Amino acid sequence: MTTVMKTTRDVRGVGLSIPRFDAPEKVTGRTQYVGDVQLAGLLQARLLRSPHAHARLLRIDATRARALPGVRAVLTAADIPELKPMARTRAHAMLAIDRVVFGGQPVAAVAADDLAIADEALDLIDVEYELLPVAVDPQKSMLPDAPRVADRGTEADTSEAQAHSGIAATGTQTTTQAPNIAQQGRLTRGDVAAAMAQADLIVENTFRVPMVHQGYIEPHAAIADFDPNGRITIWSSTQGSFACRAEVAEVLGIPEARIKVIPMECGGGFGGKIRALVEPLAVLLSKATGRPVSLIMTRREELLAGMPAPGVIIRLKTGVKQDGTPLALEAETIVEAGAYSGALLTMSAVFLSSVYLWPAFDVRGFEVLTHKPSIAAYRAPMAPQTHFAIDSQMDHIARKLGLDPAEYKLRFLQQGGDLMANDQPWAVNGARECMQALTAHPFWRDREAWRASGGRDGHGLRGTGLAIGGWVPNIQPTSATVRLDSDGTLAVLTGSVDIAGTNMGLALIAAEAYGVDIENVRIITGDTDTAPLTGLSAGSKTTYTVGAAVAEAGEDARQQTLKIAARELEVSVEDLDLRGDSVVVRGVPDRSIKLSVIGKRSNTFGSKVPPVLGSSSLAFDVQAPAFAAQLARLEIDPDTGEVTLHGFVVAQDVGKAINPLGIEGQMQGGAVQSLGFALSEGLLYDEQGRLTNPSLLDYRKLTAADLPDIETIMIEVPAPAGPFGARGVGEPPIVAAPAAIANAIEDATGVRLVELPLTPEKIALGLVARDRANGHA
Amino acid sequence: MPDTLEACQQALADGSDVKMVAGGTDLLPQMKNGLVKPRRVVDLSAVPELKVMEVGADGGLRVGAGVAARALELSGPVQTGFTALAEGAAVVGSFQIRNLATLGGNLANAAPSADMAPPLLALDAECVIAGPRGQRRVPAADFFLGVRRTVLEPDEVLVEIAIPAPGPGSGGTYVRHTPRRELDIAVVGVASQLTIRDGRCITARIALAAVAPVPLRATAAEARLVGEAVTPGLIDEAAHLAVAAASPISDQRGSAEFRQHLVRVLTRRTLATALARANGLSVTRNGVN
Amino acid sequence: MPKMLLSCTINDEPAELLVQPYHTLLEAVRDVARLTGTKEGCGTGDCGACTVHVDGRPVASCLVLAMQVRGRDVRTVEGLAANGTMHPVQAAFVAHGVPQCGFCIPGVLMSASALLADNAAPSEAEIRLGIAGNLCRCTGYTKMVAAIQDAAGRMSQ
Repeated sequence: MTTVMKTTRDVRGVGLSIPRFDAPEKVTGRTQYVGDVQLAGLLQARLLRSPHAHARLLRIDATRARALPGVRAVLTAADIPELKPMARTRAHAMLAIDRVVFGGQPVAAVAADDLAIADEALDLIDVEYELLPVAVDPQKSMLPDAPRVADRGTEADTSEAQAHSGIAATGTQTTTQAPNIAQQGRLTRGDVAAAMAQADLIVENTFRVPMVHQGYIEPHAAIADFDPNGRITIWSSTQGSFACRAEVAEVLGIPEARIKVIPMECGGGFGGKIRALVEPLAVLLSKATGRPVSLIMTRREELLAGMPAPGVIIRLKTGVKQDGTPLALEAETIVEAGAYSGALLTMSAVFLSSVYLWPAFDVRGFEVLTHKPSIAAYRAPMAPQTHFAIDSQMDHIARKLGLDPAEYKLRFLQQGGDLMANDQPWAVNGARECMQALTAHPFWRDREAWRASGGRDGHGLRGTGLAIGGWVPNIQPTSATVRLDSDGTLAVLTGSVDIAGTNMGLALIAAEAYGVDIENVRIITGDTDTAPLTGLSAGSKTTYTVGAAVAEAGEDARQQTLKIAARELEVSVEDLDLRGDSVVVRGVPDRSIKLSVIGKRSNTFGSKVPPVLGSSSLAFDVQAPAFAAQLARLEIDPDTGEVTLHGFVVAQDVGKAINPLGIEGQMQGGAVQSLGFALSEGLLYDEQGRLTNPSLLDYRKLTAADLPDIETIMIEVPAPAGPFGARGVGEPPIVAAPAAIANAIEDATGVRLVELPLTPEKIALGLVARDRANGHA
Repeated sequence: MPDTLEACQQALADGSDVKMVAGGTDLLPQMKNGLVKPRRVVDLSAVPELKVMEVGADGGLRVGAGVAARALELSGPVQTGFTALAEGAAVVGSFQIRNLATLGGNLANAAPSADMAPPLLALDAECVIAGPRGQRRVPAADFFLGVRRTVLEPDEVLVEIAIPAPGPGSGGTYVRHTPRRELDIAVVGVASQLTIRDGRCITARIALAAVAPVPLRATAAEARLVGEAVTPGLIDEAAHLAVAAASPISDQRGSAEFRQHLVRVLTRRTLATALARANGLSVTRNGVN
Repeated sequence: MPKMLLSCTINDEPAELLVQPYHTLLEAVRDVARLTGTKEGCGTGDCGACTVHVDGRPVASCLVLAMQVRGRDVRTVEGLAANGTMHPVQAAFVAHGVPQCGFCIPGVLMSASALLADNAAPSEAEIRLGIAGNLCRCTGYTKMVAAIQDAAGRMSQ
């Protein structure tokens, strides 16, 4: 697809703000998630998990557990010939064989008549561990003598990297010098040393972001039914039924065609459910018991042993001229991936050096393994962490030079045609327009008055900050069909899991492309048996790719319909229009044929009218970067460090707003996840690699009482290859808040904080340090 | 499932490995995390003797151990006469928690961060305990022995809390610091209660949560205030002394350094509020009742 | 362990459920009464997905032992609509585009409906506090607040 489809049709379609069709069932509790599925003979499964981050598994004895009444199967590694000694990926390591590599790694799986029995059975499994030294600190883990994490001979697993990122990976290589460096890469341009020598101001900071959990409210869940006659059915909470099927097939050595994955309503994924996690064990337990088995993780297990976002350390050194002109950037990014590789290094380099343009740069990246749960993706992987670093740095530089931070950043912000770090040009995008929307906002225009009102009349310290955030979505081939039903309505079939309201967008696209009102369109999410091959619902690519397929399929269905109508009405196709529920001859309104008549005739015995089935199969080679700028107005209690957000604004380039109501929800939800990164979230491990906050009490997600209304501004800079110009909207809004908040804190207090989350403790003690440095008590 | 206090006592007398449940907001999470695995659970939620909430003729308050935090939060007499307790109750968890969590459960669970404990210490409350050996009264300040340990024997039930009327010229408050507005456990909590007569402080109570194994009073800080005109400078001194009473640990909720800093800050603030309220001034919190 | 008979009212109908003594109200509602609208998000009272009404008050059903509601009145999301008509807050959630993944929504609706029953004209701060015990990862809460305000307005007409 190389042309933007224009919305010329006069239908209730693209651009309509409309509630999701599945909203009524969601508000009445009728929507079915995996945990709501009821099957005869369903067993409940629980996993026994290692309390140690790194240990040899000496002995495991499930005899007592198997003897407990109501226990139907207990599996350890010895019972699973499919397990390969060298686990290449996290899914392959579903049960530890002889070595545990992260705290929470499963060592046994139990299926029982109910959860209470399963829990009791876990207590009856005897395990003997030999503790091994742990690699917990990522920087120490990079050393040649660090305790080894991966089995010798395993390759770096880059399959996840390809699923998400749109930046071509260049220059990555593995190394054997340090056992836990799974990937490293370097991107350079120009002569950094020479450029740095010219700098009037050099700023160096080390930014740190902890591992963070995606925070979906529904834990990982799957039900598997292994029919000994050959078919395996899996009901899964997943972001990609086809990806899930492929991974289960690969891990268990079963042909894909024997597996049917039914994607249930997914209670949140955000990248954490793009890979199989509980499905393989559920299948094996079903095989062992001959009954369907449900495996649903508890919240504690999710935090302990989910697939979080990586921990990131970025050392950033920049040199600029007195007027702020960027000269040179040197960066070292350490990405902590946990026990299995999967990080996107190249993304990091691009964001660090090419969102704001640096003529000379040397960016090195390392993926480091540690004895912690391995990562998957989290909504714009690597983008929040890297933008936190580079936007904070730019903002800080501006303040040091006495420049307005927004004007400064706009001067050097990329635009279409500028080169990214990998020498590809940025495609046209609306980053500048987003920033400008914020600088025009009253919160920015009134920032001086806001700051001045702080620290008096009982107010805390007041500040305002803004930042840019970008994402380059990946692309994935996909397909879709559009069918005219015998009642004259359209049925759109995809395999796309609707985690973000994309189904509504797809329905609107279909309506627009075909030429009917949205009320006559329904979206069907098929399983892997019935749906056309569809990619992951991830990476902000659903609307862009599946939407394009739906648009083309809709257009195809329209043409088929018009051809049939032309034959029935004995006119040529060019004379026809779609209006309301009929195909009409232009200028002759009483010569028409209803869509329902066409539909019925195509399903009538002996009829000559073929069914209308539009289809489309697409692969893509053009990406559409998408940016969202964010602004925070806040007040800080100078004694306790508590932050009150008085306002938060997101300005995002959506290309073309397919369903504004849905997009607002994405922008607001993503912004709050971004604020979680900024203010309160982090998985905290002790020196033994044990998670110290495995509950939602201490893994703090922001509540409604911590937040203001999130204001949204939609910018439309059309993406040339997007359906009707649309860009992916899911990921950009999670990127900018950490920098925006840190920038606002410096605005309010003069203190620059570089370690997330920016908790009250860090702020309060930062102020204490500032006062001490200034000679106050 | 006893429906009288006596039936409850019998249920407890029947054996070991028994836990009591009222609101379940502490017991159930502990059971789910495998920290406790009782064989039997005695449900206190239908025992009427635990539900009293009344102000006596002498102005003292009796609150049954089974009274929910939400009821304390909303009670007019508790808000006006025993404000620190209403404020401690108001910050526990969320609405869904406060409708379940009981005063007695908060005390008997004896977490160092229990929000309803410092107000009771600051108000000189007494715990009324019933057991097979009869009824006894223990000052709230002596009720806690350590982390999750109290003076309660396994066959005893905390029945109610008795709080003497603070008297004229008295005011108090409870403030805590948490990273989020709701759902959090106190990093530090401070309750202060001051009684002022003729411009001088005649009683001072400062009680701290989450800075020691048990909730405790900062007695040196209290002593500094008694007999004096309470000025901002004196409040600062008392706040400084309160820090010395605390021995906080560093954990994932906060470092010891930050907790010490907060003890000073929150003592200063709660003393200022207590003083204003003792002087008859109305001091409301940002937020909602 | 022998099961126990729990007699209570669920959504205005008398209910008799055979439950294990260790069953929580959440398990009794979902697994025994087969009302699966109420969800488990954490099992420890920290997320609000399991919120139901007991005697009209919102509680974390994962923290209540099922037998503790003997003789009491329980309402779940399935009992919010009356005679096929949605509760105003349910209708407002639909109109405002609130539900995304939907998993938190039943719990939020139970908190919101309880708030509105107690407070006919809540301020924004009161609404935010009223749903502060319900974690949502998809929406960022802004549309929830607007929808609850809208419902409050309609209910007072």
